[in-house]
Amino acid sequence: MAKISFWLQRLAQLLIVLLLVTFGVSMLLRLIPVDLATVLLPVGSESERAVLRAEIGLDKGPIAYYLQWLGDFVQGDFGKIYFSGGTEEVSTHLAQAMPRSMLLMIYTQVFALAVAIPLGVISAYRAGRRADRIISNTLFTFSSVPSFAIALILIIIVGTKLAWLPTLGYVTYSEGFAEHFKHMIMPVLALSVGLIATYTRLLRADMIAALREDYVTMAASKGLSDRRILWRHVFRPSSITLFTSAALSMGGLIGGAIVIETIFATYGVGFEIFAAISGRQYVALQSTVAVIALFYVLFNLVVDIASGFVDPRTRDRRVNA
Amino acid sequence: MRKFTIPTWFSISWLGLMFFFTIFGWLLPFKSWTTVFEDDLGVAPFSAGHLFGTDTNGYDLLASVVSGTRMSIFIAITAVGLGGLIGSVLGITAAFLRGKVDTVMVTLFNVGLSVPNLVLALALVSVLATNLDINQAVPTWRRVMVLIIALTIVIIPILGRIARGATLSWSNREFVTAARSMGMRDRNIIIRHIVPNVLPALIAVGFLAIGVVIIAEAALSILGVGIPDGASWGGMIARGRNDLEYAPHVLYVPLVFLALTVISTNHLGDVIRSGLDRRESKV
Repeated sequence: MAKISFWLQRLAQLLIVLLLVTFGVSMLLRLIPVDLATVLLPVGSESERAVLRAEIGLDKGPIAYYLQWLGDFVQGDFGKIYFSGGTEEVSTHLAQAMPRSMLLMIYTQVFALAVAIPLGVISAYRAGRRADRIISNTLFTFSSVPSFAIALILIIIVGTKLAWLPTLGYVTYSEGFAEHFKHMIMPVLALSVGLIATYTRLLRADMIAALREDYVTMAASKGLSDRRILWRHVFRPSSITLFTSAALSMGGLIGGAIVIETIFATYGVGFEIFAAISGRQYVALQSTVAVIALFYVLFNLVVDIASGFVDPRTRDRRVNA
Repeated sequence: MRKFTIPTWFSISWLGLMFFFTIFGWLLPFKSWTTVFEDDLGVAPFSAGHLFGTDTNGYDLLASVVSGTRMSIFIAITAVGLGGLIGSVLGITAAFLRGKVDTVMVTLFNVGLSVPNLVLALALVSVLATNLDINQAVPTWRRVMVLIIALTIVIIPILGRIARGATLSWSNREFVTAARSMGMRDRNIIIRHIVPNVLPALIAVGFLAIGVVIIAEAALSILGVGIPDGASWGGMIARGRNDLEYAPHVLYVPLVFLALTVISTNHLGDVIRSGLDRRESKV
C-alpha cells in the first residue's frame, strides 16, 4: 500500500511542477510591456486584433487567460502561429518537428552510449593507469567544449574544407536513407561529445566501486576470466546509474538542441522554440515550452518507475525515505 | 597545501589573464575593437600589426577578443555572483527552517530546473528585451542588463539546490545541535556554523556555473538575442559565422578563448570538489 501512495505522491508532485512551469511561462508572457495582440498581428486592423484577443483570452485577466490556454492545451489545441497572410496550427509544426528531434536524440543517445560504455569499462579496469588517465583527461577537456563550438569546427573542417558532409538541412529517411544519415552525422557528433564524457565518468566511478565488492573477489577466486567478471558481475549492476542518467538527459536534450538545430537548420523542436521567440509567436512559445516540460517530467517518471523495477533496492529506499 | 598539477596551474593563470583583461583591458595598448582596417580585410593570424588577424569586415580580432572577454566575463561573474547570493540565501533558509518553507522552495527550484537552461534564458530574454515600440531596436546596455537578469534567474535554482542539500547535511551535525542547545540564535548558527561549511561546495559549483553562463551567453548571441555587434565572445561567434567559409580563424579565435575559459573553470571546480571529498572522508 505504501508503494501505491508513494507513486500517487510522485505523480502529484510532477503534475504540480508541470502546472507551475506552464503557469510561470503564461505569467511571464503577460508581463511583456506591449499589447500581445499587436505583437501577434502587427499589420492587422483593430477589429481583427479584438477577435484575436477574445479567441486566445487576452481580454481576460492573467489567470483566466492561463486557464483558457490550459483547457485548450489539454484538449490538444496548441494555439496558432500568426503571419501576415494567415495562421498555422502549432500542432502541425510540432508534428513535423517532434519526430526530427526524437530521431536526433535517439541517434545521439545510442552513439554516446556505444562510445561511452567501452571507454568507461576500459578506464575502470585500468583505473589510475595510463589508459585511464588519457581517456579521463581527454573526455574532461572535450566535455567543457560547448556543443556549438564542436558543431562550428565540424562545419568548417568536415563541411566546407573537406566537403564530405552537407552542413544544412534535414532529409527524412523515406526520402533517402544515406542522405538522412549524412545530414545527421554532424549534429549527432556535436550533441554527443558532452554526453560521452558524462556517461564514461559515471560508469567508471560506479564500476570502480563495484570492483571492490566481495563478490568480485569471490568470482576472481573461482577462476572466472577478467572479461567475464567485468561484463557480467561489474558492468551489469553499474549500468543502472548510467541508463538512469541517459534517460534523464533526454528531456534536457530536446531543449539543449536549440542551438545545434538552428546551426544545422534541422527544424526540430529546438528550432521551433527559436522561431517562436524570434518571430514573437508567444502562444506557440508557451505551448512548445509546455510540451518540452511535459516530456522532461514524463522521462523523469519513467526513469523512476524503471529503476524501481530493475533495482528493487532503490524502490524500497525511496518508499522509506 | 597540496602541490598543484600542471592543468591546475594552467587554469589559474588562464582565468587570471581573463580576469586581468576584464578589469584592465581598457588600459592596455590594444587597437580599438570598433575600428575598421579597410586595407586589411580578412588577414590571417600572426600577420604584421594584427596578431590574431582581422575578419572580412576589417575588425582587428585581438582587440575584439579582449573587449569580448571583458563583456563575457563581466556578464558571467555578475550573473553567477547575484544568482549564487540569492540562491544560497533561499536554499540555506529553506533547509534550515524545513517544513512548508522548504517544500515551497524545493518545488520552485524543481520548476526552474525542469525547463532546460537555454529555454528558460531564451524566454526570459525575449520577454524582458521587448521594447514598448516593437519596431525599435533594443540598446546594447539594456540587452546586457536583460541577459544578466535572465542568466541570474537560471543560476538561482542550480546553486540554491546545492546550498539546500549542503545545509541539510551540515545542520544535522553535533556542533549545530550543541550551538542550539547552548541557546545560540538561528541567525548566528547559520552565519557562524552553516555558511562557512556550505561555502566551499557552493564555490565549487559556482565555478561550474560560470562555465554554464558563458556558454549560455554565447548560445543566446548565436541565436541572435544576446549581445549584438561582436561585443562578446558569443557576439563574435555569431558574426564570424558569415566568414566561416573563407576566413575560419575569425571563428577559431573566440571559440578558443571561450573553450579554454570553460575548461579552466570546470577544472578548478573539479579540483575544489575533490579537495572537499578528501576532507570529508577524513571526518
